[in-house]
Amino acid sequence: MLTIKILGSGCANCKKLEAVAREAADNAHVQADFVKVTDMKEILAFDLLSTPGLVINDKLVSSGRIPTVAEVQKWLV
Amino acid sequence: MEWMLRLIEGGAGSLAAYLAAHVLLCLLPAFFIAGAMAALIPKASITRWLGRATPAYVSYPAAAAAGSLLAVCSCTIVPLFAGIYRKGAGIGPAITFLFFAPAGNIMALAYTGSILGPEFAVARVVMCLLFGIGIGLLMALIFWRDDASHDAQTDTLFAEQARIAPAALGVLLSLVALLIAGTLKLWPLTATVATVQLPIPWAEAWQATLFHWVPFDAAKGEEGVSFQGSVLIGLLLLIAATAWRGLENIIEGANRWTWLALGLAASTLLVAALRLTPQPGGLEVALTGRFLAVGLTLGAVWHFARRLPADDWRAWLWEAWRFVKQIFVLLVVGVFIVGMVRQVIRPEWIESLAGSNTVLANAVAVGFGVFMYFPTLVEVPVARMFLDLGMHPGPLLAYLMADPELSLQSMLMVAAVIGRTKTAAYVGMVALFSICAGLVYGAWVDGLGSVPLAGALGTLLLALAVALAWLRRRQRAEPAA
Repeated sequence: MLTIKILGSGCANCKKLEAVAREAADNAHVQADFVKVTDMKEILAFDLLSTPGLVINDKLVSSGRIPTVAEVQKWLV
Repeated sequence: MEWMLRLIEGGAGSLAAYLAAHVLLCLLPAFFIAGAMAALIPKASITRWLGRATPAYVSYPAAAAAGSLLAVCSCTIVPLFAGIYRKGAGIGPAITFLFFAPAGNIMALAYTGSILGPEFAVARVVMCLLFGIGIGLLMALIFWRDDASHDAQTDTLFAEQARIAPAALGVLLSLVALLIAGTLKLWPLTATVATVQLPIPWAEAWQATLFHWVPFDAAKGEEGVSFQGSVLIGLLLLIAATAWRGLENIIEGANRWTWLALGLAASTLLVAALRLTPQPGGLEVALTGRFLAVGLTLGAVWHFARRLPADDWRAWLWEAWRFVKQIFVLLVVGVFIVGMVRQVIRPEWIESLAGSNTVLANAVAVGFGVFMYFPTLVEVPVARMFLDLGMHPGPLLAYLMADPELSLQSMLMVAAVIGRTKTAAYVGMVALFSICAGLVYGAWVDGLGSVPLAGALGTLLLALAVALAWLRRRQRAEPAA
C-alpha cells in the first residue's frame, strides 16, 4: 500500500495533478492512499520551490509541474 | 430604482469599454507570455544564483529577476520565498523577491502600461526594483543574526543547474515582441499603409446603436465602444467558447478545438491591429504598420513554437489557459464593480484627499492600499478610476506600490514563514518606502529634474549595500577571533 501526497494550496494545478496521479495508480493496478496536503508549513517541509508537488511514500518525485500519466506510473512501480 | 439602473449601466459601460479597448492587445499576449515563463523557463536557471554562498551583488538582482520571471502565481511565490529565506540566500533576497514579484511580472507590467500609460509602468517597476532591493538590504542588516544561524545548515535545493532551451527563448522573445508591436503607440506602428473600403451598409447604424447602448462622457475620461470594439468582444466570446473544449485537456494532446481557439486568438490580435472606421454606406479598413508587425511576430511565435518538444508546448498552453481562468473572471467582475463605484464617488472627495503631492496624501493612499484587498491586477483599473477623478500621480503610485504588497492575505503568508517581528518590520518599511516612492514620483511629475532624483536614490542604495558588506565582513571575522 502506497501513500501518495499532493502538495499544494488547492490551485488548478493541484487538482489536475491529483487526477493524473489517480489515473496512473489505476492503470498500474496499485492500491494507494491519497492525501492532499494544503498546509503551507507541511508543504515547506519538503524541498520544493514551487507547487504542485507529488510525494510517493515520503519521497518528493516532482514539483512545479504536472507530470504525465506515464511518468507517474514509472514512479509507482 | 433609477439610481440602481445608473450604477449597473456604469458597470456595464466600463466593462465593455475595457474589453473593447485595452484588454485584448496587451493581455492576450501577456497570458501567453506568463504561461511560457511558468512552463518553459527552468526554475533552476535562476534559482542557482540564490544559494547561500552567492555574493550579495549577485543574489539581490537574481532575486528580483526571479520575482519578474518565475513568480507569476502564488503557487511559486510562497514556496520560493520560503526556500530562499530558509535554505538559500537569506532574508534580504527573499524580501526583494517578495516585494518585486507583484509589480515586476509581465502581466502587471503590460496591464499597467496599457491602462495607466507607459510612464506609470516604468515608474512602478523602477521604484519597486530600487525599493525592493533597499528593503531587502535593510531587513538583512536588521536581522543579520538570524541569517547567521541559518548559515550552519547545508543546502542542495539551489545547487541544481539548468539552461533555457533556444526554441523556448525564441518563443518568449517573439511573444514579447508581439506584445510590444500590439501596444506601443509609435510612428511606424501607427502609420497607415493602405485602406480598403468594404461595402457593409449597416456599419454606421451599428456604431450609432453602440453609442446609444453605452453612453459615455469623454470629459470624465470615459470611453465608448467602437465598431471595432464590438467585433473584438465578439471574437473574445468565441475564443472563450472554443478554449473550454480545446485547452482544458491540453496536457493529453491537442484537438480540433485547440487549433480553432488558437486561430481565433491570432485573428483577434490581427483585427485589433487594424483601424476600422464606419462611414456612410460602408466600412473603411486601414492596414496599419501595426498589423504588419503583429503578423510578422505571430509568424515568429509559430516558427519557434513548432520546434518545442510536445510536452513543453502542451505545458505552455495549459499554464496560459490556467492564468486566463484564474485572473480573467476576477478582472471582469472587478472592472464591472469599479465602473459602478465610479458613479458614486465625487471628484471633489478625491481632489481634497489626494489631489496634490503631499505626505498626507501619500499616506492616505498607502492606507487605502493596505485595507482594501483587490484580487491580482484589479488594482490597475481602480487606479485608473482614481486618476480620472483627479488623484495626483504621486499618491497614485504610492497606492499602486502598497496595494499588492501589503494586502492582509500576503501579510499572513509572510508571517507564517518569517514570524511576526520580521513581518511587522517589513510592513512598516513597505508603508514608509511606498510613501517615499509616491513623493519622489510626484515631485518628478511636478517638474523636478530626474538627474538629482536618480542620484539621491542611487546614493541611498549604495550606502545600504556598503553597510551590509561591512557587517558581513565583521560577521565572518567574529567566529574566527
